[in-house]
Amino acid sequence: MKKKKGWIPVFLLPTVVLFLLIYAIPLGMVFVTSLFNYRLSSPEMTFIGLDNYIRLFNDSDFYMALKNTVIWILIQCTVHVALGTLLALLLYKKPRGWKFIRTAYMVPNIISNAAIGMIFLNIFNPQFGVINSLLKAVGLEHMTRNWLMDVNTAFPSVTLVWVLFAGYTTTLVLAQALSLDEAVLEAAKVDGASGFQTDVFVVLPLLKKIIGTTMVMAATYMLQMFDLIYITSGGGPGKATTNLPLLLYGVYKGENNYGYANTIGVIIVLLGILCMTIINKAMKVNSDDY
Amino acid sequence: MKTGRKLLMYIFFGCCVFVALFPIVWVILSSFKSNAEILSNGISLPSSFDFKGYRDALTISPILKYFFNSVLIAGASTALNVFFLAMAAYVFARCEFRGKNLIYFILSLAMVIPMTALLHPVYNVIQTLGLYDTKMGLIIVYMALNLPMSLLIMRGTFLSVPQALEEAAYVDGASFVRTFFQIMLPCAKGGLTSSAVLAFLGSWNEFTFALMLTSGQAARTLPLSLSYFTAQFSFNYTAMFAAVTIAVIPSILVFAIFQEQVVSSLTAGSVKG
Amino acid sequence: MKKKWISLLLTGLMAVSLLAGCGKSGDKSSTDGDTSSDDVVVINYPTFQCGVNTAAPVVAQLVEEFNEEYKGQYKIVLEEVPGDANYVDKIKVQLGTGDLPPVVYGGGYNLLDLALANDLVVDLTEVVNADSEWKGLYSDAALEANSRDGKIYASSVEGSVIGYFYNKDLFAEAGIEEPAKSWDEFFEQCDKLKAAGITPLAMDTADSAWVTQLWWGAMVATANEDGLKFMETMNPDDYNTPEMIASVEKIQKMLQEYTTTDAVGGKYENAANNFLSGQVAMIANGPWMIGDFSDTDKTSEGFADKVGSAIYPDSFVYDAPIQGYFVTKQSDPKVEEAAIAMVKFFTSEHAQELGLESQGMVPAASSVEVSKAATEKYPLLAEFLDQTAEATVRSDNMQATMYSNLLDVVSQELPRLHSGELDAEAFCQVLTDAAAKNE
Repeated sequence: MKKKKGWIPVFLLPTVVLFLLIYAIPLGMVFVTSLFNYRLSSPEMTFIGLDNYIRLFNDSDFYMALKNTVIWILIQCTVHVALGTLLALLLYKKPRGWKFIRTAYMVPNIISNAAIGMIFLNIFNPQFGVINSLLKAVGLEHMTRNWLMDVNTAFPSVTLVWVLFAGYTTTLVLAQALSLDEAVLEAAKVDGASGFQTDVFVVLPLLKKIIGTTMVMAATYMLQMFDLIYITSGGGPGKATTNLPLLLYGVYKGENNYGYANTIGVIIVLLGILCMTIINKAMKVNSDDY
Repeated sequence: MKTGRKLLMYIFFGCCVFVALFPIVWVILSSFKSNAEILSNGISLPSSFDFKGYRDALTISPILKYFFNSVLIAGASTALNVFFLAMAAYVFARCEFRGKNLIYFILSLAMVIPMTALLHPVYNVIQTLGLYDTKMGLIIVYMALNLPMSLLIMRGTFLSVPQALEEAAYVDGASFVRTFFQIMLPCAKGGLTSSAVLAFLGSWNEFTFALMLTSGQAARTLPLSLSYFTAQFSFNYTAMFAAVTIAVIPSILVFAIFQEQVVSSLTAGSVKG
Repeated sequence: MKKKWISLLLTGLMAVSLLAGCGKSGDKSSTDGDTSSDDVVVINYPTFQCGVNTAAPVVAQLVEEFNEEYKGQYKIVLEEVPGDANYVDKIKVQLGTGDLPPVVYGGGYNLLDLALANDLVVDLTEVVNADSEWKGLYSDAALEANSRDGKIYASSVEGSVIGYFYNKDLFAEAGIEEPAKSWDEFFEQCDKLKAAGITPLAMDTADSAWVTQLWWGAMVATANEDGLKFMETMNPDDYNTPEMIASVEKIQKMLQEYTTTDAVGGKYENAANNFLSGQVAMIANGPWMIGDFSDTDKTSEGFADKVGSAIYPDSFVYDAPIQGYFVTKQSDPKVEEAAIAMVKFFTSEHAQELGLESQGMVPAASSVEVSKAATEKYPLLAEFLDQTAEATVRSDNMQATMYSNLLDVVSQELPRLHSGELDAEAFCQVLTDAAAKNE
């Protein structure tokens, strides 16, 4: 086994270099500048310690954005992942047409977000949109509304823009399920478990790790979600659908205040670490006792 | 009871397929509508099927050139990403060394870093490396963007390959590198393909870095072509949706074919984790 | 042991060849303003005026003419950056690193002040003053828009003259004879239209509510002297003024009663389409829209004949030069010289005439007359420019002078104003608070 040791750094080198270049060094710059008054409108950077963080913790917009981000993460880790996993479990038994369904379900993830956003603007359009037209057609005219701009419906409406497209989850879980050892499954069948029971009690626990992975993916997807919100509701009405990346973008682009924007960036990173730790603990993704 | 459950299952499938295909059908239909039709009634059928939108798309933007760039950039970054990350993932899954968990944790942090915040410093890095406005610059960035996801997926895959396979190889006298390439990589095909698919799609649709890190036509990618169709006070949605169609149809086809191969390799029995 | 090295070598080779193969194709790209071997000074000029942008053909032609005129000396290489917002993003990132392209178009984004704050702009005062022809193109307003502290930094090509358009047929249907002279009359007309079953106004709230803020600013500017002063202030920070609150109240009423249901959350495209499809009677917008009235892809045949133009009630019209081209400091003085030549060429009388005749762009210089050719091609534009002569109150539009972080805030808060969750005072307070974030 001595041979092995010598190869470890060689195998790691490309990845580590890549990480340093695109993540570590830039992130270091972001963290350092969050301690400065750093604006595009003034070439001089002045050290201000934790002032940006103090401003952030006194900013009511920040709490709203934080709350929205956390709720979206929770929805994505539960509803979205459950939907994708359910579909994968059903397809795993290879019912007729499963290949088509599997491929079809991935299609929305291939279309650029700019187009998806446009489509949902049309679906929710208060004047000619699909939803209001349907409601009118079945005589529920009183229920029609401006879905993306009504304070009460904006948040769930925006959520709909991505929550149903669980193609990634399905693809990953299905690939993993199909590579499971058939012997284990056969053994379970012999024990007299029905098809449905096999799914729930035998297959699902074996997929825990990959489901954990998709949850981490779902959480980080929501931590970085920007374009779909920006195109559909623009973060409004008020700040009802503003999340942390949108807040960051507004500060970065609108106020040209890079130091403060980077402060929000640091918070997103910290929130991400927290999410990952929790999911890893819950799903034991990191444990090696497979 | 059983047919009832089956019916339920197919209703569920029907809903999923409807939800999944609605956007693409809508996009394709819109590429045949006039601008007024797109803006006046979202779900109507186009009044006539002509290819004016496609002609406009090709004349307004250099879409074919961008398409070629996209294929090259997304393809190369995906191949390199999967290759290098498989090596790293394998080491993390199978080797013991000091600081392993710490290094792995730090690398996986990449996943939660908001790219909006890194735009500026990444631009500096690429500029310093002399890679501004080159395909290489984008390839490196896209390799990095897909780093955490690939690492996560492939490490999981390697972990689920039985230790016995590897030990048998060592007993037979195979080297570390040979074991990796000949035994482990084939066993991890599922994970490799999943990572490759995700990495490819991620690079294919990336917009912001493509915009910031390129200036000429030599390294511009497809998503950038979409901005050609909506200026502040003028727009050509028909051409835009034609461009979206041009961008998306080949990638769906490639994806469908590609996925077929994954499954056959998985079910052919070469991999039985 | 040997095998190990061979496999490693192969791996390495594969990686390197891949990298090299891909890197090469991009290597040729020169950095901004490199002098090439045959001594032609190259100006790399990124522009958003490409694709469907109305000015695209004008810029393309100017580049061609410039390269012809300065053949062997200077050469502009056009770099297309489609999408205004993308262009601004790109310039801002380059501002941060200090390597701006030699020529930047300030446009409606006030890039000049940001570049000046970073000390990256070339002072054009001497060159312009030494050139009477060039100097003559600067109107007083253009001089103000392009100068800071008495120094000229930029040169305008286009003016922004904005009134509103109305549908003559719909006006006739509601029994309205001509556009309103006062705001009271304007709202009476809205009521008349509504009574006749016609939606009076096209409005929007997304993308910083362009159409809506035109009505809004017009009311502020004509409210009283303080209102006009507000409109003339760069980056105003106090929205808690009586005339502002009164105007916002009217905007609230307009959103609630006089416009389409999709105005709230709607984009400019939706508002434009509502007007172009003959569903609403009025839309506030600039002359660049005139081309759309006869574009059968966007509207029906013959629609152009139904459209009339007007200046706002109380004799108001938006009239301000759009911040022009400026030259940035370069390490190579030759590139700066070339860039100055380009700015002069791109804002010359010829360039302004070209813009007018080919795309109906309003010239920045008042000395550039509306030619016969332009009148024939754009009769509505000529008619509108005649009307503007009668205007007694003029200012820039609100969006051009607003702190840039307020643009998104306006889009986010207008829906709440519409729903009544915010009243006019609360709305103005939100804007004031947001403005305060700029220190």
